[in-house]
Amino acid sequence: MTSTRIFLVALGLVLGAYGVTLVAENSTDVIIRIVVWALIGVLLHDAVFAPVCVALGFAGRRLLPHRWWTPVLVAALLTVVLVLLAIPVYDKPGLHLDNLTVLDRDYADGFWIALAVVWGSALLYLVGDRVLPVGENQVVEQQRTDDVEPQPPSVGPDGQQSAGGGEPHLER
Amino acid sequence: MGTTTKAALRGTAVTARVGVALGVAVTVCFVTGLISHFIQHPQPWFFWPTRPVWLYQLTQGLHVIAGIAAIPLLVVKLWSVYPKLFERPIIGGLTRQLERASILVLVGAMIFQLSTGIMNIAQWYAFKFFFTTSHYAMAYVAAGAVLVHIGVKLPVIRRALGEPLEEQPTGELRVGPSRRAVLAGTWLAVGAATVVTAGQTIPWLRHLSVLAPRSGHGPQGVPVNRSAFAAGVLASARSPEYRLTVANGSAVKAFTVDELAAMPQATHRLPIACVEGWSATADWTGVVLADLLKAAGAEPNSDVRMISLEPPGPYSRTVLPARHTRDSQTLIALKVNGQTLDLDHGYPCRLIAPTRPGVLQTKWLSRIEVVT
Repeated sequence: MTSTRIFLVALGLVLGAYGVTLVAENSTDVIIRIVVWALIGVLLHDAVFAPVCVALGFAGRRLLPHRWWTPVLVAALLTVVLVLLAIPVYDKPGLHLDNLTVLDRDYADGFWIALAVVWGSALLYLVGDRVLPVGENQVVEQQRTDDVEPQPPSVGPDGQQSAGGGEPHLER
Repeated sequence: MGTTTKAALRGTAVTARVGVALGVAVTVCFVTGLISHFIQHPQPWFFWPTRPVWLYQLTQGLHVIAGIAAIPLLVVKLWSVYPKLFERPIIGGLTRQLERASILVLVGAMIFQLSTGIMNIAQWYAFKFFFTTSHYAMAYVAAGAVLVHIGVKLPVIRRALGEPLEEQPTGELRVGPSRRAVLAGTWLAVGAATVVTAGQTIPWLRHLSVLAPRSGHGPQGVPVNRSAFAAGVLASARSPEYRLTVANGSAVKAFTVDELAAMPQATHRLPIACVEGWSATADWTGVVLADLLKAAGAEPNSDVRMISLEPPGPYSRTVLPARHTRDSQTLIALKVNGQTLDLDHGYPCRLIAPTRPGVLQTKWLSRIEVVT
């Protein structure tokens, strides 16, 4: 494995260095713009987007019932992705009037419909989760390696049932 | 009953699995991007076939699809490791600083590639640097940083992939989402990102691709990337003085549009596949380039330069490799889908060849030169 790792790191350094020489072929102004763009991207993620997600996750865990967490988490992720994909098209910032074959959809409608589908599905999941009987898979999923089939009650010397036993843990 | 606890959703088990998927997406982007680059900047060692005719449609479609799929993967991967940003020591020794610097380069380059890529397909140039060269240069930085990262983390990755996904606390009841749900949500997000955009190159997804920069509509059923107005050819393309000149060294022959139309015509169903990831297949009708060259007294055995009426610019002249020049499906098209080419599609005539990026299918042809 060590030789694989050395190879990967060495190849990575060579590729990266080549990339740096290509970037360096630009004028200083352009190099600065490229680096600043990348750094602003990191900053937007680390200092804005991620803390907002942490705060929303923190609030969500306190405000929402446990059963809601999974569908809300997944729907939130899909929302983030839809928003990111909508940014370059929603307001058509790249529109040129001489070519109406680019950005030729109603992105606002499309975005809100997609969002409605996502959150509608989350709602359906919640309702379905409540209405449908607990599936065997779910029981198995919630079991741990120390879950075992119920054993015949062991009778101690004092005639009392010992503690333990392996009823599947389910909080419903 | 044990105590209830919320399971730790983050963890190397999640990071490694999403990381593998992201690695696959980045690899697809890098390889297909290099293919596109070398078609546009040919090297002697680079071989690009003329069949199947949809080959570039496939590779460039994959480039953009994989890039878009990488967006949710990057979001989840960064989420899964975010607390590491605050791990102590924040500064640490030299090794620690190097590791942090390499991660900064990795994340910065990835965000740079995905953000400029997604903006470029929507033709939104808010950044003040040239897209193609910087996207190409940063691709090596990103790919290099990914390789270094994999090299550094390989033992962790292997261990994480070998371990079960969920942590297994004993005697505690888990509440809330599981890591399985996080992964399922991630794959769902990748699927959703693909569906809402990929219709620009996969026709049956068109109605679902609500965020695709192209609906696939356009004059004569084909979208346009560069309009006749933007190219500045509105007058010259419609001029009665228009001639298509074919030059082979000192031998030069000029053709009027009528003369071109009077030559034997061939129709081929070929895709126009843009570097921006959209594509449209159409029936193109025109003179086979090899026949035109022969009519001008040239053998179609060498590269030919295609020169547009468009004033000199990056794509107003392109070189068609000999392999494509002699191909029987390479046309100087006069019609698309049975109609005379729209001005925006390159009237009076344009090049359309198999497996070529749209940007090299030169429109408003004015001169074809055999490169000797």
